Amino acid sequence: MDETVAEYIRRTVLKIPRDEIKTMLEKWGLLSETQLQTINFRQIKENISQDVVQLCEENSVDIKQAAVLDIIYNHVYPNKRVWCVYQMKKTGEEAEFFDLTDFKKKFKRRLRSALKNVTINFREYEDNAIWIRIAWGTPCTKPNQYKPSYVVYHSQTPYVFISASVLKSNLPLLCQALVLASNYHDIREMELRSHSLNSLKDIVFKRYSQNFQTHYPRPLQERNVAPESADLRIIQENRNEKERIERVNREVFGDGPQPKLEFAQYKLETMFKSDPQMDVLDKKEPFRCLVKFSSPHLLESLKSLAPAGMADAPISPLLTCIPQKARNYFKIREKKHFFPESFVSP
Amino acid sequence: VEGVARTLLSFGRLSRGLPFGRAHGLSSRDPLLPLAPRSQENADPQRTAFLLRKQWTLYSVTPLYRFSNAHLRDYARLLSAFIAAEKQKGLAVEVGVELDIKVAVSSLPYLKGSDQDQAAILVQLSSRSPASPKNSEEKLIWSGWFCCVSGDDLSKNVPEDFTCLPLFLVNGAECYTSIVGSWFQKTFDCSFRRLAISPLILSWMAAMWTGCKVDKTASAMELVFSVPCLPQPLDISYAIHPEDAKALWDTVQKTPGEIIQEEVDVFMDCLYSHFHRHFRIHLSATKLVKVSTAIASAHCDGIIKFLQSQYLTGVLMLLTELAISQIE
Repeated sequence: MDETVAEYIRRTVLKIPRDEIKTMLEKWGLLSETQLQTINFRQIKENISQDVVQLCEENSVDIKQAAVLDIIYNHVYPNKRVWCVYQMKKTGEEAEFFDLTDFKKKFKRRLRSALKNVTINFREYEDNAIWIRIAWGTPCTKPNQYKPSYVVYHSQTPYVFISASVLKSNLPLLCQALVLASNYHDIREMELRSHSLNSLKDIVFKRYSQNFQTHYPRPLQERNVAPESADLRIIQENRNEKERIERVNREVFGDGPQPKLEFAQYKLETMFKSDPQMDVLDKKEPFRCLVKFSSPHLLESLKSLAPAGMADAPISPLLTCIPQKARNYFKIREKKHFFPESFVSP
Repeated sequence: VEGVARTLLSFGRLSRGLPFGRAHGLSSRDPLLPLAPRSQENADPQRTAFLLRKQWTLYSVTPLYRFSNAHLRDYARLLSAFIAAEKQKGLAVEVGVELDIKVAVSSLPYLKGSDQDQAAILVQLSSRSPASPKNSEEKLIWSGWFCCVSGDDLSKNVPEDFTCLPLFLVNGAECYTSIVGSWFQKTFDCSFRRLAISPLILSWMAAMWTGCKVDKTASAMELVFSVPCLPQPLDISYAIHPEDAKALWDTVQKTPGEIIQEEVDVFMDCLYSHFHRHFRIHLSATKLVKVSTAIASAHCDGIIKFLQSQYLTGVLMLLTELAISQIE
């Protein structure tokens, strides 16, 4: 077995949390049950990985087989990467039957015709998710196994999730290969990025509970309201306002859990407007700003702002539209319109 | 509260115009803002280059008793011995790393505001691994400098035996900071305190520094807000194109040569209301934690980065002011 393969396996095993190693090796299936039993999974990871490499030597594992372990790891821990969402476009044909074998063949063929040195792995999972791992090389160098690109393609949808560590120069080729292999015409990058692959799926597949403007707002008795104080001398001030805020907030954000995003970015090219009495800036050109919101769970965080008194209720649609518009990068320009208060986002 | 009041007072005083600014005889192109950092046309950018683009943690320091500029070499020796002793006691430093630490203490006479100021004192710790040859390169592992820029308010009230260097800036590992700090405390009977920067002061910095003229293409004016007390914490970065931010400030600031609290408030309110117009979020209800401009950046935990050598002294003047107000 090549020492580069050995090193790659060793490093891949080291990435895995110790308690997960046995399970992942079992999923991998390259080592037999008997072989696995010879490994002491209680020792330190350095030693476990050495043992694994030793056994892989016995089985003459090659780089393509080693790469499968990497896919398994990334499938269990997708949130270590940043994922971008792409949408493919057909020209109005009927949905064709998806042939996996055909897809793989065409995909590999397109990449290999452009690049001799490339390692390509496929792995299918439930819910029609096809994981593709590509390690890129150049005409003179072997593929770099430590900087692979990942693609997750749900064959029943036009959406592709690409892990952003792709070397920029390979991206057009990758996109081309995807379009060709899946019989689409075009592909475009959506302005939607996150570490949480599942949340991105929730957003584009509309798997979150959406906010609907209700004409008949549900009476508050159904909700869990904080218990009234037994002491009648204590009155909640602004109770009506508090209730209004809660209700409006639920309307614009929806009732269910929010998809998990870490940030949203807004490039503002709108005009600066001020109270004419203040006698400040009155330019004809846009006031250029870049605003970035970040949080471990952005939408939940934004949802809590109005009840906390830090935002108006309803909060701006620029924020609440994130899941429906399936984007978290925006460019906001002034709408040339009768009502100067509205914004347009291309 | 007193500290803040004192600062406001001094800002008020400075805003009425110090003779200091005019004494330097700057060109009439630059707006004369005694409060805002002035472009130091006579500062040698080479000598101050090592201070730029590094993160400095700020402390206020009470006056040093019986400190003398003439004994810097001795101090270096004594501090070196102190560090060696601390290492032997096992109060070290980095686990498993055997480092030979060399101490240098020097004076930076060009870092001062007025003639009454003490020259800045620089302490540097370098290391060389004992394995490498005698004449191999030493690596700078820690720097700390004491300075006083226009600290007249403090120095004029202090008895003769005391040296006023109220501002201390550190770059390097905390373990060395605490050793060096202990030595100074023991030797000169002074005390160090982390210098926090309040949102009020950060707003002043944002306004002042936005107004500074910068020769090359400036970086954005960025304000960072934090909302920690939510179920899921939120950070908001609000960056404004430097030309647009300056254009706004130029219309807010009414009198050249002075800045008053009201103008800072109007400037910030304008920015807050522009933000609110889009997002319906009240930035004024959140905590301003960091301000970044082309000339410097400051964080509420008392961390500063100098980005332009010509405004270095000006920023130091403001920081000295803050340090003094924390001491008193």
